[in-house]
Amino acid sequence: MPDVTVTIDGVTIQVPSGTNVVDAARMAGVAVPVFCYHPRMQPVGMCRMCLVQIGTPRLDPATRQPVLDDAGRPVIQMMPKLQTGCTTPVSEGMVVNTVADEVKFAQRGVLEFLLTSHPLDCPVCDKGGECPLQNLTMQWGPGMSRFDYNDKVHFEKPVPLGDLIYLDRERCILCSRCVRFQDELADDPVLGFDNRGRNWMIISKSDPPFDSKFSGNTTDICPVGALTSSDFRFRARVWELDSRPVVCTLCPVGCNLSLDMRYNQLMRVMPRENGAVNDIWICDKGRYGHRFVDHESRLTTPMLRRDGQLVPASWDEALALVAEKLAAVRQAHGGSAIAGLAAPRLSNEDLYAFQKLFREVLESNNLDQRIGAPGEPALDDLGALLGPGTGSDLAQLGAGTTVLVLGADPEEEAPLYVLRLRAMARRGARLLVANLRPTKLDRSASTRLRYRAGAELAFLRGLLRALSDEVGTDRLTVKSSGLDQLRRALFATSLDDTAAACGVSAADLKAAAATIASAEHLLIFYGAEARSAGPAVVETLGALLALAGKAGQSNSGLIALLPGGNSRGALDMGVRPDARPGYAPLAQPTIGARDLWNAVQGGRVRAVWVAGLDPAASLPAARAALDAAEFVVVQDLFLTETARLADVVLPAASVAERDGTYTNAERRVQRSRQARPPIGESRPDWQIVQGVAQRLVQAWVATGAPAVPAKGPKDGKGARGARGGVEVGAVAVAENGGWDYLTAADVAAEIAERVPGYAGVTYPALAATGKPGSWGRQVNEAIYYDGTNYENTEGVGIKLPSLIESGRASLNLAPLPVPATADDRPLLLIAQPLAYDGDPLLRGSRLEAHVPEPYVALSRADAERQNIRPGDIVRLASSAGELALPARVVDDLPQGVALVPANLAGVGLATVQTGPRTRVSLVKVVV
Amino acid sequence: MGLSEHIVMRELDIPAINDFSVYRQHDGWEAFADALRTKTPADVVNMVKEAGLRGRGGAGFPTGVKWGFLPKGVYPRYLLCNCDESEPGTFNNHQIIDRNPHQLIEGVAISAFAIESHTAFIYMRGEFAAAAITVERAIAQAYQAGFLGKNILGTGYDLDIYVHRGAGAYICGEETALMESLEGKIGQPRLKPPFPAVAGLYGKPTIINNVETLTNVPRILARGVAWYRSHGTEKSPGTKCFSLSGHVNRPGNYEIPFGVPLRELIESPEYGGGMRGGRPVKIIIPGGASAPWLTREHLDLPLDYESVAAAGSMLGSGAVIVLNDTVSAPHLAYKMDEFFKHESCGKCTPCREGTHWLVRVLHRMAEEGHAHPEDIPTLHGIYTQMAGNCFCLLGESAVMPIKSALRLFPQEFEAIVRQSQNGHAGKPRPAAAQHAIPLGLASRR
Ligand SMILES: Cc1cc2nc3c(=O)[nH]c(=O)nc-3n(C[C@H](O)[C@H](O)[C@H](O)COP(=O)(O)O)c2cc1C
Ligand code: SF4
Ligand code: SF4
Ligand code: SF4
Ligand code: FES
Repeated sequence: MPDVTVTIDGVTIQVPSGTNVVDAARMAGVAVPVFCYHPRMQPVGMCRMCLVQIGTPRLDPATRQPVLDDAGRPVIQMMPKLQTGCTTPVSEGMVVNTVADEVKFAQRGVLEFLLTSHPLDCPVCDKGGECPLQNLTMQWGPGMSRFDYNDKVHFEKPVPLGDLIYLDRERCILCSRCVRFQDELADDPVLGFDNRGRNWMIISKSDPPFDSKFSGNTTDICPVGALTSSDFRFRARVWELDSRPVVCTLCPVGCNLSLDMRYNQLMRVMPRENGAVNDIWICDKGRYGHRFVDHESRLTTPMLRRDGQLVPASWDEALALVAEKLAAVRQAHGGSAIAGLAAPRLSNEDLYAFQKLFREVLESNNLDQRIGAPGEPALDDLGALLGPGTGSDLAQLGAGTTVLVLGADPEEEAPLYVLRLRAMARRGARLLVANLRPTKLDRSASTRLRYRAGAELAFLRGLLRALSDEVGTDRLTVKSSGLDQLRRALFATSLDDTAAACGVSAADLKAAAATIASAEHLLIFYGAEARSAGPAVVETLGALLALAGKAGQSNSGLIALLPGGNSRGALDMGVRPDARPGYAPLAQPTIGARDLWNAVQGGRVRAVWVAGLDPAASLPAARAALDAAEFVVVQDLFLTETARLADVVLPAASVAERDGTYTNAERRVQRSRQARPPIGESRPDWQIVQGVAQRLVQAWVATGAPAVPAKGPKDGKGARGARGGVEVGAVAVAENGGWDYLTAADVAAEIAERVPGYAGVTYPALAATGKPGSWGRQVNEAIYYDGTNYENTEGVGIKLPSLIESGRASLNLAPLPVPATADDRPLLLIAQPLAYDGDPLLRGSRLEAHVPEPYVALSRADAERQNIRPGDIVRLASSAGELALPARVVDDLPQGVALVPANLAGVGLATVQTGPRTRVSLVKVVV
Repeated sequence: MGLSEHIVMRELDIPAINDFSVYRQHDGWEAFADALRTKTPADVVNMVKEAGLRGRGGAGFPTGVKWGFLPKGVYPRYLLCNCDESEPGTFNNHQIIDRNPHQLIEGVAISAFAIESHTAFIYMRGEFAAAAITVERAIAQAYQAGFLGKNILGTGYDLDIYVHRGAGAYICGEETALMESLEGKIGQPRLKPPFPAVAGLYGKPTIINNVETLTNVPRILARGVAWYRSHGTEKSPGTKCFSLSGHVNRPGNYEIPFGVPLRELIESPEYGGGMRGGRPVKIIIPGGASAPWLTREHLDLPLDYESVAAAGSMLGSGAVIVLNDTVSAPHLAYKMDEFFKHESCGKCTPCREGTHWLVRVLHRMAEEGHAHPEDIPTLHGIYTQMAGNCFCLLGESAVMPIKSALRLFPQEFEAIVRQSQNGHAGKPRPAAAQHAIPLGLASRR
């Protein structure tokens, strides 16, 4: 948009046309106080705080040209009344005065008015100290009030708007920011107003009340202490808090958080701004789901099994025992008799060290980030191969962008992406939401595409076919093979037949293809439901991106919603049975989680090391195998089911207690800082791993037994510049197998050196913030106007290039074979990840109350056919086994689908699942 | 001297005009039929423009000009008839509906045709239960006679009229709040621009007019522009149905040409019939509660938009409230502002908080007889902080009573302060302090 010249308090600047006076003033370094206006929402002009004097050049009625004065300057005609700056767009030559006496009088007036109905209970208000009402009163308000204190109106307070948020009606200044956030940004229109005048009040309209996964954000943007969270109420005064920058590991978005600590205790979690990731928002899981760090059941000392009991031990004892036992197993049976599982929420440093220990010291490639449950889909490589390119920034995307969301439920899998996608759509992006069932994102979609359950591949082939009809294959510019096979597969059937097969009409497929073809940027999000449909589906998404000509480009690419907060990092670090760090494939297949439990039972694997995963909790086969294994090490935060079976339990430090980097879904690496010392004797996972590695290396040096790989892996492909004697970071490395990291930064420096793609991703580089922030904020300014989120001073992360972009891989377009299924059970069982699930990290948080009881959701038609009513117990039977669950009947679920939460404790999905998707039959249990 | 022929209150000429067949016998619906057959919408707009019809809802904005603001070629368009009539002292719309409903419906139909709208809504004040039935019956009769519905009189023009009853809020008479309410939302004004003519009901171009405004339209078409302009003044042509109330002998609605002096309305035996008990006039509120007050000096003021505005007030809705010397100015201001406080929608700070504060102070002064010397400057402070700063005109209107009272009768406020300071206070102070809760305890619960 063309720029407009305006003069604000004598400062003349150019601002984009369409900017409002408040924002323009901010750009000119002039502060106009606001309450109801928020830069992320439509202005409403309600609070009247931003009244300013505005004038425009007087135009000659005949020529429509500005009238000039004697000095040749345009004559400015001031408007007779003050105007609200937030609702007034700038115009050419506009003159704004924010310091005129009239303006000051009005500002004082509005503040005096607001304070007449305010309880002035700052001393006991959670917002006190970071409250825009306090701050603006100090700067613009009257020093005294003429209001008779006896005339104050009092309301009952606080009233719960839900179990997470409390409303103090006396403090509410009725700015409607909370209501508008829920309506405009979150699309959970659950708040509203009741009554009028002085009795106008905020209410929750939903059942359960304030039913939104983003509710906590309203407490940030509420310009007073009217909305407080039950999580933080009366816990601390804000000036006692020490803000520590961390990254959320609870889902793959990787929101930037501040852990606000007092005396090393977590008081509250707040968002830190990062325009490319979470903007200024976080979801309630990130905000309220970090109480686990202070939970009393955290492990604080190492434990050893003595006489069948786990008893506390020293680190020396524990590490020595682990080293000794693993050395013995390796000695007797070789490295391949040892297997390791590490959680995809651990940091890159932990995961790198873990695989390095296995590959370089123990000489085992038996690694995985899964637990071997039948429902786990194949590992995802496409998100790295074709992820959004360098320089991608979701905050910049709008008109010209097409986003396809396939088989995903972002609200549950990666909540914050709902806000990001909606913001993109609001800025003009076209949002195609394709799924077999409705999700909340449908409401924000420009096009909804509903394919038949199980017909994902047909749908995508149809879309791809329509796209190649539209643009041919000329746009395919990246290195690729298999185009002919792909074309044959696409043209084997007519578009109409494909349309009939997937249940989306040919016209809709063509329209969607046209939307994709015409896009300048193309983003494709896919979630658990898409991945459960098999690798062929995901591969086809890659072909779609490539044929659209968007492979390897900035702001275009595939984004997989993976289960762990650092799944992408775990894949990059090679915590997997089939590839080394940086996607260097292994020649020999090794034992991954899927085969592990049988291998243990068969004696091929004798020792198992589990870091941060809990296979025993949900997988009977794992429990049995761990029971039978010769030696089991578990490192975790809690004494999990798996830990209870271990020979050695090692207490790990939580995300609050250690430095680390995490790679989010779009492959942005972000740094998280240590917020406090580890509790008890717990240690960061990489340190624990190093402790064992050092002992093993020493033992082997001492005994001269097995060879110590001093120069990196023998088949050092994909791992350049091994560390033997090389200067890394500030630390000179001795001939010690490279196990002398002093800090996480040392590990990160080695990752930067040795993991392809991570070059340059060092802690100093990660600290760059690219100031000024994405919207030109001045230091701490937000606390005055926009809310209490923190500005980002610790780095906005580094976006990794995709493998295609960096020329490290080529694309195979040949369609994968689709294994035929010969199971005619009527329903498709789909495991649905929920944000509030059985994750042990929800421990101690108020979100525990939001975790549903287990259930199976059925369509009304399927339920009615068998006379199933909500709450009835139904038995799902597959070729693998049976499972009884209470039924929910969901109106908008398609027929033929049984939807079961994927990760609820005690559901035992593994007993019935035969794979990521399972065909089941359904019987009502009559009691 | 009364009108020989009324334009709006024609029940005075034709007593049974509220009967559909009687209305028809007196050429009822013929203006509409004639417009459909022989005129284009633009012809009708032009006639209304030339007649100089001005909106009777308060602002006196020229109706034809307003109709001309509709953006070209954007459809559908809606016509809204504003019958929220909630301003204290205003009661002529109610009478029009009660006694001459068919002319209103015909006016709605002609106006809808003029603005090329096929859907019109009549928004009725919630309390007008019986009137709503009357209107609905009149609409049903028009449908039956073929003046509403599809392909009216074979001309291809379609029109549906719906009646919607409000839920009892003065603010819903404000045009954009009315639209919100009609859309099923909380009745609060919208940000302008966009103005209703550009984006109104459901975001579509919308024209909103008062009941009395629309009731004029059939007569303009039937009798012609020249005849219409033969009433009233140059700038305020036609007649106005004044709602006269207060201490007059004959309160009621009187249709008189614009420009007749206030004195005649109050004193003529045909109209107000003079002051009750012959007591002197003290305060005249010429245009509903929102209008600045006039006094005895203004009795010779001609009742037209320009003259009343020149005297510093406004003709507004034409509700003339005349009060005698028994009325206390502080008490009147209190009562008036109590109304605005009660009706404030709460959306903007100055009105929501300002009316509340004004009423707290005025209640203490006027009802309890307690006042501090600072109360008078405080009252001045409150209304000056409101004036010009509110989101809509309701808040601006709330300034008028207190500002008028303090300007015209400062000594009455000073007297209360004096008495109060001298210990002559009336009733003992019913301390609001009783429900004041100590700080901290209140919030901690
Ligand atoms: C607070 C407020 C209340 C109003 N109430 C009414 C009303 O009851 N009836 C009405 O016709 N206009 C009312 N108006 C004026 C309308 O907003 C609008 O100007 C009018 O309906 C336009 O019709 P007209 O052009 O025919 O006068 C009110 C305005 C305000 C600010
Ligand atoms: S609760 Fe807070 S955000 Fe919501 S309207 Fe009140 S002051 Fe504004
Ligand atoms: S969206 Fe994901 S990363 Fe962001 S706060 Fe929520 S759980 Fe954490
Ligand atoms: S002035 Fe403000 S509070 Fe009063 S009615 Fe208008 S919008 Fe509502
Ligand atoms: S009116 Fe502009 S900030 Fe509230």
